[in-house]
Amino acid sequence: MKRSFNSNNFLFVVLIIFFIQILAIFISATANAHKVSAYAYREGDKVIGECYFVDGSPCKNSVVEIYDSKGKKILQTTTDEKGKFNFKTQETGELKIVIPAGEGHRAEYRIEAVERLAKKEIKKQIKKQTPQINRDEIKQIIDEAMDAKLQGIRNEILDLRKQMDKINIRDIIGGVGYIFGVWGLIMLIKRRKNAS
Amino acid sequence: MHISEGVLSAPVLLAGAVLSLSGLAIGLRKIRNEDIPKVAVLSSAFFVASLIHIPVGPTSAHLVLNGLVGMLLGWSAFPAIFVGLALQAVLFQFGGLTTLGVNTFSMAMPGVLSYYIFRKMIHKGENTAFIGGFLGGALAILLGTIFISIALIETEKSFVGVAATLLTMHLPIAFIEGIITGFVLIYLKKVKPEALG
Repeated sequence: MKRSFNSNNFLFVVLIIFFIQILAIFISATANAHKVSAYAYREGDKVIGECYFVDGSPCKNSVVEIYDSKGKKILQTTTDEKGKFNFKTQETGELKIVIPAGEGHRAEYRIEAVERLAKKEIKKQIKKQTPQINRDEIKQIIDEAMDAKLQGIRNEILDLRKQMDKINIRDIIGGVGYIFGVWGLIMLIKRRKNAS
Repeated sequence: MHISEGVLSAPVLLAGAVLSLSGLAIGLRKIRNEDIPKVAVLSSAFFVASLIHIPVGPTSAHLVLNGLVGMLLGWSAFPAIFVGLALQAVLFQFGGLTTLGVNTFSMAMPGVLSYYIFRKMIHKGENTAFIGGFLGGALAILLGTIFISIALIETEKSFVGVAATLLTMHLPIAFIEGIITGFVLIYLKKVKPEALG
């Protein structure tokens, strides 16, 4: 090696990187990606969730495993055609949802513990007792109203999460920058060693 | 071909880490200072390649370029691919930091093998060089799927099942990468023959 790194080589390097990046930006926007993500929330004793790939396409007919806070598997279900899943549970502790998407892919999501589950049976019991509205009934009504109102926000959160999972150009360019930085450092260290 | 976090057991992760560390040690020792810009370029090419998805049938797989990286760098493919994978894990959550060892080994080792098997062909005529590049690029992908399947032996039910799915998924990728590797090699042969080392 006579030449080390002249301007001609540099141009060549820059061209290659540009070419690859442009290709990446165009192609990755249309196709499926491999990273799988999951999102879920509680609604009373129900847990509703969705599983999707980086580009937002659904993760169809995938197994969903639910573990309790001690790591014991308590339930298993599958996602539907839209990547959605739901199940009922009386478990109030932290829930861990795992989606093993096969071939080494896996998504994980944790749902926080709740103090108590909103009970759906309360209504009937109360009606038999008194016509008066008691605390539980009020809570029941509020819960239902809140669920309806929160639905929109939940969908928006899901959309935001999907967008966050998408790969953006900043990350790509930043990553290439980091790589050059790392190799620059290695070069520096090697040169120091050779000099001493 | 990235194995996610939490799929593999500790012994498999450890084995992958040890194998990758030895590869890294050999690779770093073999790099000459003047080769480092080349390593950096291939490292970033590998980093970006995983974002290029090629839809085939119901699923899609992404480019890996481990054959190209291996054939141009030899053992230095280990550090190059390691850096690429580490950044993919951090920035895109592709794979994971704990599976870095397993992923590095199963991507870099096939590249190194391609390098040793086909490097003589690269230095012959243009046609032979292209065929060498094609075979090297394709072999690296196919071997990569086999290494990944071996790592997944414990997790998945049958080794043959996973290997078969991964192989069929990656056959088109192997073909495409073979062509890419072949063309890049003959292009470099014309423009910058010293890059082929």
